[in-house]
Amino acid sequence: MPDRPLTRICYVEDDEDIQRIVRMSLERVGKMTVEVVTDPTQALQTFAEFRPDLVMLDWMMPVLDGPALFRQMKLRPETSALPVVFITARASQRDLDELKSLGAAGTISKPFSPRDLPEQLRAIWAKLP
Amino acid sequence: MNHSTTASGTSRSLEVSTEAVEAEIRDRADPRQVLADRVAHLYRQMPVAIGATFIAGAIATYELQGRFLQELVLFWWAIVVVFSVAASVLLYAYRRSPDKLSSAPDWLRWLAIAALGNGASWGLAGGVFFRALSDEHQVFLGFLFAGMACVGVPVYAASWPIFALYAAGILAPFCYVLLTYGNRLFVEIALLVPLFYALNVVIAYRLTQVFLSGYRLRHAYGKLTEDHRALNQRLERQLLELEEARRQVEASGRKLALFAERAPIAVLELQPDGTVSEVNHAAEILFGYAAAELVGGHVRKLVRAEFHPEFDRIWEELIAKRESMAGLKIRNPRRDGIDLICEWTVTPLVNFRQEVIAIIAQGRDVTAQLEAERMKKEFTSTLSHELRTPLTSIIGSLQLINSGVMGEVDKEVGELTVVAERNGQRLLDLINDLLDIEKIESGKLTLAPELIALDDLVREAIVLNQAFGERFNVRFESRGELPGRHVLADRKRLLQVMTNLLSNAAKFSPDGGVVEISTEDAGANLRVAVHDRGTGIPEAFRGRIFGRFTQADSTATRQKGGSGLGLAICKRLIELMHGRIGFENRAGGGATFWFELPRRSAA
Repeated sequence: MPDRPLTRICYVEDDEDIQRIVRMSLERVGKMTVEVVTDPTQALQTFAEFRPDLVMLDWMMPVLDGPALFRQMKLRPETSALPVVFITARASQRDLDELKSLGAAGTISKPFSPRDLPEQLRAIWAKLP
Repeated sequence: MNHSTTASGTSRSLEVSTEAVEAEIRDRADPRQVLADRVAHLYRQMPVAIGATFIAGAIATYELQGRFLQELVLFWWAIVVVFSVAASVLLYAYRRSPDKLSSAPDWLRWLAIAALGNGASWGLAGGVFFRALSDEHQVFLGFLFAGMACVGVPVYAASWPIFALYAAGILAPFCYVLLTYGNRLFVEIALLVPLFYALNVVIAYRLTQVFLSGYRLRHAYGKLTEDHRALNQRLERQLLELEEARRQVEASGRKLALFAERAPIAVLELQPDGTVSEVNHAAEILFGYAAAELVGGHVRKLVRAEFHPEFDRIWEELIAKRESMAGLKIRNPRRDGIDLICEWTVTPLVNFRQEVIAIIAQGRDVTAQLEAERMKKEFTSTLSHELRTPLTSIIGSLQLINSGVMGEVDKEVGELTVVAERNGQRLLDLINDLLDIEKIESGKLTLAPELIALDDLVREAIVLNQAFGERFNVRFESRGELPGRHVLADRKRLLQVMTNLLSNAAKFSPDGGVVEISTEDAGANLRVAVHDRGTGIPEAFRGRIFGRFTQADSTATRQKGGSGLGLAICKRLIELMHGRIGFENRAGGGATFWFELPRRSAA
């Protein structure tokens, strides 16, 4: 378990409605600081500036989807250690297993409950080494 | 020199072959039948023997009368008559005998006795009368004996031992009388008699051999003829069978041709090089070509040009392996240029030298079927992603408002957002149920089985569904715990089953009711049962309660919510976990739903 509480989240998501709900959930319910990225190609730059504790990636995005972005992160030393949680509506068990084996910290399936989302993230955070 | 060697060699080989023929004849002829034939021949000669004895006896009696003691002559005559009658009786008995084959040795024995008796009666005449007769009557008697002995040769030719007995019976006493007569000439005659006797026996022996081989030949020939007839009959029968088989083959060939011609699937007969030899009507309709446009051309005409290399590869494999291939999906252009996707079964026909002589290709248009499958997949994907994404926003927004973190809202507005959230959730449950049933039925659902302590699972399910129960003012109570019992199951899916059963029970319980959950041992299984005090399961509904889209009445759906898929999913999930599920109405009202899973030891 990391020695500090989970406070800074970066969320990569192309759907602005879901962005808003996740932001409100994490800020209001979870009392966290949230940075949202709409364009996944800008994500790596935002990570460098914002320095999040944890990154949430949407699975399905145009141009660059979550798994592809995740693989890019793994190739860069400055982002390879960042904990990544996937939010997905349709991934098969095999996809999830593959991401776990690549080092994803966890997955949250859509639809999720904004009431419980901060708790789910903290539970994943607590299991990190 | 060489020539003579050859000649002698040939003659030896002929000899050998004659012996072989004789041996074969001996083998083929049944010795019992040969014996029976000889016996029959001997009995056929009996009237001659009886007649000769009777007539000669009568003449002798007539001649001896007055020259001897009258009684002695009549006594001898009586013996001759008795013999004749006895022999006639024997002949009569033999003729009446039903089984002359197996009793032939007995009849031969009786005949030997009769022949000995016949001979001995003449012998008796020699012994008693000869000495006292005048010269000319001695000559008469000697002539009579010699004649009677000679008659025996043809009469008993079929069995030389019988002749030997018969002749010995006549000649032995006569010979004795001659020897002891005291006349040198008679002694010389007496010495000649055995010589003639031996000569006659040898002749009789030779004749017997002739008879034997004659009868053997007859039976061997009979057997040969019989064998030949049987062979002929068998050949004839086989010929008939062959003809029948040919007719059947022809008929089934015509039937097959008819099947192919009338079949709703396209059937093509192809040569090993891919040339079309024949097509059926369905193929003409399917591809829009007349048979004449296809026959004689290469079958590649029915394959898109860009797939020709792949087609050639498959074709080569087919010819090389000579094995039927099924399920080949090939893009086939119609005459008007529109592509069809057909599923083909191709069967090479192989001759006895294992050479491919023709290929039968049967094709079915699966274009529409593939399109339907693709659309179904797309639909499922749309359901799971495109519907769930907006629902995430809707339910999420309402949850945030209803949880109060966005600040207080007007009471009536709050009531409406709660209604909106609940119904959003219902819509989501429905989509999830539809996806689940689709996944289960297409066999795509994979379970992650683990060892689960049943008590813990029941407790977890109760906690998870408590809020739902409260909505209907129903309490869940666990009864009869079974610590330390485990099942092998997918935790998430088993919780889904429990949630279904608990929420159903809550929905149909009376206000303020209690839903009891019991766990118990059931043989090799563990049983979890959910008991409610609702209205029970209506009779008419029992048969289809685990079917899809079923609810007792449609008003219940509107009042209580639910897709009507819950129990169908439960049944399939439990069965996937090797268990069973069922229900019964409770005495005093209400229903019990239960499932059983195989018990596992927690190792």
